[in-house]
Amino acid sequence: MSHLPIFPAEEERYRALQELDPRAEGILDVLVTGLHDESWRVRHAAATGLQRLTPPEHVASRLVSVLGERGETGARNAAAEALAGLGPAALAPLVKLLGHLDPDQRKFAADILGQLGLGAAELPLVQALEDPDLNVRVAVAEALGRVGGEHAARALSRLLGDAEPLLRLSALEGLALLRRPPPLPVVVALLDDARLRRSAFRVLGLIPQVAATERLCQGLSSDARSIREAALAALGTQASLVEPSRRSELEAVILAALRRLPDAVTRLEQALEAEDVAVRSGALLAVAAMGEASLAVRVAEVAREDRLLRDVLGTLGRLGSEGGRLLLAAMADLSAPARAAAAEALVDLVDPGSVTPLCALLEWAEDDLRGVVVRALGRTRAPEAASPLVDLLRDPVTAGAATRALGVLAGSCRAAVLSALEDAVARRATPVAVTALGRVGGAPALPSLRALARDVDPRWRAAAVEVAGEVDGRVGRELARVALADEASPVRAAGARAMGRLGGTEAGALLRSALQDEDASVRRAAVEAVGESGAVDRVPELERLVRHPDGALAVAAVRALSRLGRVEAKVLREASGHPDEEVVKAVLSAGAVSREGVTLAVSLLEHPHWDVRAAAARVLGDSGGPECLEPARRVLETEPDALARQALADAVGRLSRR
Amino acid sequence: MARFDDSRPEMTAEEFRLLRDHVYAHCGILVHEDMKFVMERRLWPRLETLGVPDFSAYHRYLRYDANRHAELEAAVESLTTHETYFFREPSQLKAFREELLPVLEKRNARTKRLRLWSAGCSSGEEAYTLAMVLRDEPRFEGWDVEVYGSDISRRVLTMARRAEYGPSALRATSADLLERFFVPAGNTKVRVRDDVRAMVSFGHHNLLDEAGSQLVMKMDAVFCRNVMIYFDQSARRKVLRILRDRLVPGGYLLLGHSENLLNLGADFELVHLRGDLVYRRPELPGLVGGEVR
Repeated sequence: MSHLPIFPAEEERYRALQELDPRAEGILDVLVTGLHDESWRVRHAAATGLQRLTPPEHVASRLVSVLGERGETGARNAAAEALAGLGPAALAPLVKLLGHLDPDQRKFAADILGQLGLGAAELPLVQALEDPDLNVRVAVAEALGRVGGEHAARALSRLLGDAEPLLRLSALEGLALLRRPPPLPVVVALLDDARLRRSAFRVLGLIPQVAATERLCQGLSSDARSIREAALAALGTQASLVEPSRRSELEAVILAALRRLPDAVTRLEQALEAEDVAVRSGALLAVAAMGEASLAVRVAEVAREDRLLRDVLGTLGRLGSEGGRLLLAAMADLSAPARAAAAEALVDLVDPGSVTPLCALLEWAEDDLRGVVVRALGRTRAPEAASPLVDLLRDPVTAGAATRALGVLAGSCRAAVLSALEDAVARRATPVAVTALGRVGGAPALPSLRALARDVDPRWRAAAVEVAGEVDGRVGRELARVALADEASPVRAAGARAMGRLGGTEAGALLRSALQDEDASVRRAAVEAVGESGAVDRVPELERLVRHPDGALAVAAVRALSRLGRVEAKVLREASGHPDEEVVKAVLSAGAVSREGVTLAVSLLEHPHWDVRAAAARVLGDSGGPECLEPARRVLETEPDALARQALADAVGRLSRR
Repeated sequence: MARFDDSRPEMTAEEFRLLRDHVYAHCGILVHEDMKFVMERRLWPRLETLGVPDFSAYHRYLRYDANRHAELEAAVESLTTHETYFFREPSQLKAFREELLPVLEKRNARTKRLRLWSAGCSSGEEAYTLAMVLRDEPRFEGWDVEVYGSDISRRVLTMARRAEYGPSALRATSADLLERFFVPAGNTKVRVRDDVRAMVSFGHHNLLDEAGSQLVMKMDAVFCRNVMIYFDQSARRKVLRILRDRLVPGGYLLLGHSENLLNLGADFELVHLRGDLVYRRPELPGLVGGEVR
């Protein structure tokens, strides 16, 4: 196949190119022809296809020749796209092209080298700044901003003094991309040039100084929206760079500037909907500085951009109970991400007047929001919140959050909470109410707990047993002991957990049977309880369990031995060969306090799992001596995984100082 | 920056990676590197519900606990934004109603059967919307029409079957549609009318599960809107293969307005409608519109 068949429809040409075999004879010619198609989709398919051919160096040379076809704009752009997708193979022909006679070609070369972003292009591009053609020099400066490096940054800084405004502009943009701002006075001087002002603001944002903030705030009053937004974006950048302790200083400057603007709120409203994420981020900062509650809903909607969630939450948290009221009233109209962010913020913004709207929200809110709304209810300090919270104990999704929320609410409305809980237990609404009753009611609830520990329903027995120990140790032990012999496994597991928390001299003996329980969940609870209670008499059983094929049980056993401070070298070695990497990580963590553990960590630096290697590196950083430095360095040289490499580099750094 | 709840655990880079990989292996959903903060916050409620102290423990829960499968579904559900409401993306619905339904009517005139799939239907708003659109089309009077909604989360399917919705799901629903297709269900909620509910069935599917997808009947059109945005390229390719396999030749695939199939192979052809772009599984050779050429 040496030419593209003439298909009647764009769709067929597009599909034909997609289905070509990259190894077919003449494929390069066919795809290059495709670069000249009238349809951009077909050209794109051809460009994508070319990136799959081998050898890529041969393809690159051919594509460079397409760049020279004057009058074929579509083909040239598609060839540029393909070259940018070829990676390092395109480097040599493009560097060579920088020396072409035709400035158009040289500009193409610079553009594509910029898109490739390869460090190897840095020096040839720096040299190309001497090009006689201005358009080429501008393209080169822009490319240097993408390629980066010391030489690039220095060359771009020098260009700021160039007589040619276009070059100064591209240099400034390049430095902004590289996050390498020139000294503050240099940038401030550039603000006087209207053509550079927008970019200069952008670079100002990279300088976390109040003086820079002052200048940026001047941009907020500009009549030109582009300048205002550039200033806002820069403020957002600056806020991310400034020390948290200096943030309030920065906000004070912003607030003072905004107060001088009669239409600040309208301008911020616009900016919160800007296309540019950085502008929205800056607007969030400004709204937070102003504490402008009327913008609460707009702020929440910015959460549609996941990357701004942190900023949105921070800003909403500054809008006070008025902001909270506005959010609550608008919940039904917010987008899903905005609703999630608003609910999260409401936890800090509610007051006693929020109970009714929060309950209305609970009626229809998605489950993932309900937990947050529950937390908010707990913070209203309103007795009326007790009853709906108790009702929420029945829903497994909200039960945990409701229990904690009732605890918080009891701090201000104990009587109402207690009454609602007692009523719920009397109505046998849910066993979860027993837990809450024990925690809120304290000692007066013990008779109820004793009775419930003998309930016919195992769920109620389990709940009573588990919470009784939190109220009274003696009663708790008594109930846990009985529970360990219960016929229902959830009750035995609850008994084991309670025994673990209560400890005592008999704990080990009492947990012995639970360690051999027929039910895995009881065994696991017992293992954890042994570790928690300090029952060293059960160490032999735990040592056997570290080899158990059930990874969960083995992990629990290793962690329990560690808590007991009884991790023997032999056990460590045995467990480190466990096929489950979670067990091996638990071993590393447990062994970090001993010499044997450090030796083991060295041997595990080349474990097949990256997370084990990272854990081993951390152990060496924390516990290793100078003798560990060499093996850690050696492994660091060949470590393929970024996170493990980071942990190793950290360990090497720490070991080097010992 | 305001503090929210300092008692909540932070997610380390390693915990993020372990959880992200776990989720990816399960369903092909890829959480990007810069989404750690988002993942942390979306999973906090899960930690709170389970009483798990930190993300390492949560990872172990997902690895070992007897309820790990259900929890993994809950985690995936928390990580994917369910921005869904009735009559969302009206321009696409209009194009579907005015340009595709007449084609489908003609194609299936002999069988008088129509099957639509709302893939990744979340709590069911899209599936019911499609049923309502079909209900409003006299041309399908007396036809065997069914909308099938599927999702990876059993919990949202329970909500979908319940068919009760609050005000946020109705923000794009006109008073007229509200009147005709819903009945009140409490102070702030409404329920989809029974005759519409009867047109919709639901099923539990992981869109990457080739074997499970065989349970889905052949479809005339698939709506898979804003689902593939969570997948990486290879997972997208796999999902597209499965969707193609479940479409009749000439059947349509409708994606979200920000999605396209560039660089995703040639399993579908692009169809330019007046008001939208949709994709179509190519006809069998020699057939056009289901008829011999």
